Amino acid sequence: MKRMIFSVLVHNLRCSLLRIENRLLQITGLDAQLAPSLAVNGPSLLPRIDQDSQHDEEQTPSLLDSILWMAAPKKRRTIEVNRTRRRDERKFEKVKYNIEPCPECGYLKQNYILCGFCYAKVCRETALIRQQIKEMEGGPLRAPTVETVVLYEGETPSEQDREKRIVERPRKRPAWFSH
Amino acid sequence: MAAAMRGVGFIRNIVGSLHLRLQILGGASQQLSYLHTSISLDSKHWEKNNRKVYPPQLLDEPRRPAEVYHSRRQIKYSKDKMWYLAKMIQGMSIDEAIAQLEFNDKKGAKIMKEVLLEAQEMAVKNHNVEYKSNLYVAESFSGKGKYLKRIRYHGRGMFGIMDKVYCHYFVKLVEGLPPKPEQKTSFDQAKDYVQSLKNRTIIHSL
Repeated sequence: MKRMIFSVLVHNLRCSLLRIENRLLQITGLDAQLAPSLAVNGPSLLPRIDQDSQHDEEQTPSLLDSILWMAAPKKRRTIEVNRTRRRDERKFEKVKYNIEPCPECGYLKQNYILCGFCYAKVCRETALIRQQIKEMEGGPLRAPTVETVVLYEGETPSEQDREKRIVERPRKRPAWFSH
Repeated sequence: MAAAMRGVGFIRNIVGSLHLRLQILGGASQQLSYLHTSISLDSKHWEKNNRKVYPPQLLDEPRRPAEVYHSRRQIKYSKDKMWYLAKMIQGMSIDEAIAQLEFNDKKGAKIMKEVLLEAQEMAVKNHNVEYKSNLYVAESFSGKGKYLKRIRYHGRGMFGIMDKVYCHYFVKLVEGLPPKPEQKTSFDQAKDYVQSLKNRTIIHSL
């Protein structure tokens, strides 16, 4: 008997609580799942402020919630994947087929590119000539306003070299330096 | 202290030569005992290959081509970057390899060229190679050297450990013409595939 009364009371409590909940939901307007029984054209009982503010928040999310925050790898790249990328054909060093011996010095050179050894020879001689000129001038910004001509041992200035500055080099004329 | 170190080195050399002699004796009787000898961090195994002595050849045997092993240790370069250059010169004749390395712009190419020239000189001087051009690169590869660790400072007081990379470079020159790589036609490959399918058998059957 007592158990039955107790269960009935509990049931009544439950029903009343549910009813109160539904009433509250109706009032606040959060139960959007239920379709309206009567579609009435008129102002709603209470303005739906909460929903609007919620919509606004979703449209402008904080940086941390956005999906497009920072690209990051999802999984570790396996050694097989890494190896196929590193040992791909285009990553290999290409073999050069345009190497030939230089006809002048015999060292190797690339086609249509100056021979490194011959160029180094020329650079050395040019440096010595420049040293000579530096000694002749004796200081900076003293270059004369006439042309310069380089003469080697046993050479006399020709008719064209009359008005030119002469730089003497005490050695035999190199084969690659023509008049 | 120095004398003790020298003594240890001397003992190691003796032990090494004993190992080699035993292996050679084992090989002569055509029954190699596969002893797994442990390698310490300081053992330079590649160079020891040069000290291998074969028994005298019989008259009917084909002439064994001369082999030269050379390496350079602790090169300040990355082993991965070095590997690309090592892969390029695999199988080339030595002149071709030196020419390619001369006109390559990488840092490792200059070092590799020096190593090849050293090996060529060694071959002519010590290993009874008649013509210095008659050599080809049989094996060429790079290995990891001992790294130094340094601290790399990041923001917010974070730090990372930076590795100062070093690598080794190993090369084996063999006398003779470089072997031609086999050119398999597509028909041959298809034939081999069909043959491999035909060779399949059921194991443990009656």
